[in-house]
Amino acid sequence: MTAYIIRRLWQMIPTMLGVVLLIFVLFNWVGGDPAQVLAGKISNPEQIENIRKQLGVDQPYWKQLLIFCQQIVTGDFGRSWSTNEEVSRIFATRIGPTLTIMFPLLLLETTLGILFALGVAYVRGSLTDRAIMIACTFAMSISFLVYIIIGQWLFGFLLGWFPVQGWSDSYWKNLVVYAPLPVFLALLVSVAPTLRLYRSFFLDEINQDYVRTARAKGLSETTVMFKHVMRNAMIPILTNIAIALPGLMIGSFLLEKFFSIPGLGREVITAVERSDFPVIKAITVYLAVFTMFLNLLVDVLYKWVDPRVEFK
Amino acid sequence: MSAVIESTFAETRHDSAGPWRAAFRRLRNDRVGMICVVIVAAYMLLVLGSALGLFAKDWNREVGVSYANPSFLPHLENLEAESSRNLTAVSKVAPVDLSDIDPLAPYYKELDERTAKIKVTEIQRSDTLPFGGDKWGKDIIKKTVKGAEISIFVGFAAALLAAVLGTVFGACAGYFGGRTNDLFEWIYNVFTSIPYILLILAFAAVFGKGIATVIMILGITGWTGIYRLLRAEYLKHREREYVRAADAIGASNMRRMFVQILPNVSHVILVQLSQHVVQFIKAEVILSFLGFGVPVELVSWGTMLAEAQNELVIGKWWQLAAATASMAVLVTAFSLFTDALRDALDPKLKAVL
Amino acid sequence: MTEQKNLIEVRDLRVRFRLDKTQTFDAVKGVSFDIPDRSTVALVGESGSGKSVSAMAIMGLLPPESALILEGSRVIYQTRDLLREPRERLQKIRGKEISMIFQEPMTSLNPVFTVGDQICEVLRLHMGLGRAQARARGIEVLNEVGIPEPQLRVNSYPHQLSGGQQQRVMIAMAIACEPKLLIADEPTTALDVTIQRQILELLAGLKQQRDMSVLFITHDLALVGEIADHVVVMQEGEIRESASVAEIFERPQHPYTRALLECRPRLDRRPQRLPVIDDFLRSDGRPAGQQERKRGVVEGDAIILEARNLSKDFLLREGLFGHKAFRAVERVSFTLAKGKTLGLVGESGSGKTTIGLALMRLIDATGGEVLFEGTDLLKLSRRELMPFKRRIQIIFQNPYASLNPRFTVGNILIEPMQIHGIGADLAARSKLAYELLDRVGLGRVAFNKYPHEFSGGQRQRIAIARCLTMKPDVLICDESVSALDVSIQAQVLNLLQDLQDEFHMSYIFISHDLAVVKYMSDQVMVLNEGKLVEMANSDDIYLAPKQEYTRRLLSAIPRGFVPAAARV
Repeated sequence: MTAYIIRRLWQMIPTMLGVVLLIFVLFNWVGGDPAQVLAGKISNPEQIENIRKQLGVDQPYWKQLLIFCQQIVTGDFGRSWSTNEEVSRIFATRIGPTLTIMFPLLLLETTLGILFALGVAYVRGSLTDRAIMIACTFAMSISFLVYIIIGQWLFGFLLGWFPVQGWSDSYWKNLVVYAPLPVFLALLVSVAPTLRLYRSFFLDEINQDYVRTARAKGLSETTVMFKHVMRNAMIPILTNIAIALPGLMIGSFLLEKFFSIPGLGREVITAVERSDFPVIKAITVYLAVFTMFLNLLVDVLYKWVDPRVEFK
Repeated sequence: MSAVIESTFAETRHDSAGPWRAAFRRLRNDRVGMICVVIVAAYMLLVLGSALGLFAKDWNREVGVSYANPSFLPHLENLEAESSRNLTAVSKVAPVDLSDIDPLAPYYKELDERTAKIKVTEIQRSDTLPFGGDKWGKDIIKKTVKGAEISIFVGFAAALLAAVLGTVFGACAGYFGGRTNDLFEWIYNVFTSIPYILLILAFAAVFGKGIATVIMILGITGWTGIYRLLRAEYLKHREREYVRAADAIGASNMRRMFVQILPNVSHVILVQLSQHVVQFIKAEVILSFLGFGVPVELVSWGTMLAEAQNELVIGKWWQLAAATASMAVLVTAFSLFTDALRDALDPKLKAVL
Repeated sequence: MTEQKNLIEVRDLRVRFRLDKTQTFDAVKGVSFDIPDRSTVALVGESGSGKSVSAMAIMGLLPPESALILEGSRVIYQTRDLLREPRERLQKIRGKEISMIFQEPMTSLNPVFTVGDQICEVLRLHMGLGRAQARARGIEVLNEVGIPEPQLRVNSYPHQLSGGQQQRVMIAMAIACEPKLLIADEPTTALDVTIQRQILELLAGLKQQRDMSVLFITHDLALVGEIADHVVVMQEGEIRESASVAEIFERPQHPYTRALLECRPRLDRRPQRLPVIDDFLRSDGRPAGQQERKRGVVEGDAIILEARNLSKDFLLREGLFGHKAFRAVERVSFTLAKGKTLGLVGESGSGKTTIGLALMRLIDATGGEVLFEGTDLLKLSRRELMPFKRRIQIIFQNPYASLNPRFTVGNILIEPMQIHGIGADLAARSKLAYELLDRVGLGRVAFNKYPHEFSGGQRQRIAIARCLTMKPDVLICDESVSALDVSIQAQVLNLLQDLQDEFHMSYIFISHDLAVVKYMSDQVMVLNEGKLVEMANSDDIYLAPKQEYTRRLLSAIPRGFVPAAARV
């Protein structure tokens, strides 16, 4: 077990280097000279000169890379090019709102997805099943944008059930007043693909030999589904949740933009709009690190759902 | 037991055609699948016609009053119409001076001259248009067709790029294994350890706008799923006896990879390709909506939705409806077609579902 | 025997499968048989005979969405028709009064629950036992089926057990509630011969102790001779013959039954040609070519291929950064005489397939030499190897996987000729391909067809024809007939034998089936865990095995009919 974790940590190093290299190539090499990138966005030539010096634009690429690595290790990415706010502070203040939206969303999405999928898999092949599947396909074909535009207009503007947008300083007020509409709309969008995916996981399991054994034992269909099938289907479902977890941090940038939620996602969008490279670089690198550790954690947790997993 | 039944059935059936033709026959028997094929084909003809300039060529012309009513609802109150009549002359001039960053700046003079010529013929602005008009009085139907052209083209081109990258990388990694596999796995790990949305936005931040750019961004960031599947397929097929047999008769690596194995995994590529078309059309819409996609002088479903957001509040729903409906119909048809395609190419899978 | 009551009476069972919207397939066409109290009935048939489908129908386990049990079918159990019973009632019978074990124990056990959980589940469901009681009873049952250290094993997960132990757990689960009938669907097919023997003995013993009936489903007639009281022979969804085991073996009435008995190679005889099914269906006379064939290698036979200290390691990841080598083949040496057959036998994991692949460099050997007419093949570069590749060819086990499904048969045959520049042009190559298709008994119509249009036996013929295009000197047959039904197996073996006689090829014949190896080989090499156990002329090894392991293997071979008095 310890050997496994150490080995995995060891294997993270090349991946990490790859991420750093990719970001470096993108922003320092392809992205080019900030003087050109920021032309027209920042008018103060002194500030631009300052930024150039920080990046070491005039120095050879290997030295620029070194500066970049130094920034990553010390966690000091300097200040935002557009707002002059410290990058580390941006990170610290934006993560809260993002999680306030994303955590309830993931929880609801997973629970509802599993329940609905189990139900649909139980009546597989029936008219209900087919109707729900076609409804899902249709629901998935409409852009997320449309859900938000109409939802915001209908529930916020027309009916006035929720505030159209906004955010406050109080956690509970945010959760109860500002979060419900965005969470509800995101749920509308995500439940169809989740349901379809989880249903396929259940159906894969239903055709396994051990299900036949369970039936041959005289177990009722409900026991077969809820005990034997469910437990095995949890393995791919867990994988799927693990894949979704890093997205938890970045949040739904569309939601944050539409509802003026001061989260990381909106910050990224704004940064992209303003070519605010330090912010994008910092967020990308740290989220990559976070993702890698998360993946390791999930792999270790796997043992708990799947006894066949062995740490070799 | 199902395997036994499967093999027995295989022997009782006497398909005298090759696997592709058999798949085509199965697809033709799938009624929903065929309806979807017709719908998708209709869209393709539309896109082709629009690309060749057969119709919607003049989508950019301001033929109606601002927010012209749809012809079937001619009597809706339209407060903006009057103001737009008055503003017509003004709106021809660039409202803000962007000359230092606007790439079109040097051409404004020429453009103005051209518009001056056109203006002579364009006196009458109609109060209604078949499906209404936008803020500038452009015909929504033509705009939707032109938007479809760009969104669909981007979706297809990006999916093709992603499929080629994913297939080549996956084939090499899965087939050769060893160091080659390590290399591609490394690239894969790097790309997937950055959340997908962030990766796209990071690319978008650096590369800016433009159709080619959007295609490149979506393709370069979107190959990982196909790579994963194809690598697994090649790993599996590499050990299959027919490939071993090819090795035994002296077939080269390239021959085994592309002549022997590729046709046997092509159905996976095909299904992935069409799934990615849908996915990338949706992604393009969002990117364009955010302003990271197609440039301002073009239209896509995404830019239409961006405009529609503010229109809805003042009760002008037709642009939203047109973009949403045209996209929903295409994407639904394409998704169902993909399902039918998968069933036709891999009948065993259908038996399972 | 005649006074016994019938536990189950199957009457006019007909099962139809829906293939797609228009096509259906009748898997079982009006089958009737009885399962008397306290007796073993064997349902014997080749693939597609409907034997498993019949058993599933009794249990009510056929998939309702695709299988249709036709009107008039009845399965009478205790005056009730099981096919008409409501689901709740069936669930009370399943696992308690009638239980079932399956072919693949690995996939038939739920991977995420412990063995104990899975056994206790039936006990708690049907016997109403509490948690602790069920566990205690579960351990007892595990002990009864011969699982060592049941107190520990009860907490194991299925993947931690060997295949034989997994099947024992399945049996434990099935007998835990003292059923009246145990249905065993090919319970030993996925297991090695020595394990098969143990499982058969276990089943026979349990049947005696528990006073239960057993419905034993198998494709192997030789197997049922030892355990069954009554035999039902099925073919294509119909019953061909139904009689007591003694009558089936001693006075078979139906030609199909006779064919099944005769087609399988026997240890005590070696005719020039094996009888095939057509011999029995066409006439009553004995098949031709029954005189004995002499086998063996003598001093002075020319040697075409020689392996010296051949080894193969597979690397397994272990520890922090390390790898552990797993020795699949360890320093194996042998010679192959020109025009003769060398048989390789061993159980799974013995390294026999690895040797075959390493000989022709389909996998890279770790050490040793392979001398082909004096040249060490393992030292050649890929380019230098090309001319030799042609001369050693291989036929694989799975006829469904060894032909590229996207190629026509013509393409499959022409491809090697193109690669090796055999034949001047396409016309010449096609001509040779046509001739070879005739030679292997497929006919020229096969040329433009795809592999999926052929049966397993026909596909093996295509694979043989592909090898023949290169006129190889050495042909490696890697379990080439193991996946085939007995009657088809005999035909393919005859073809291989005829081709050897005609082209004087040398064969390396790899199989787990000792009877087949004995029939085909001049010399036999016994392998165990990657090591050479014993090598000698085939008659010698079967008459006078020198090693204990060889003796154990030989004694595990099904003996055919054994009168009830002589059984365990």
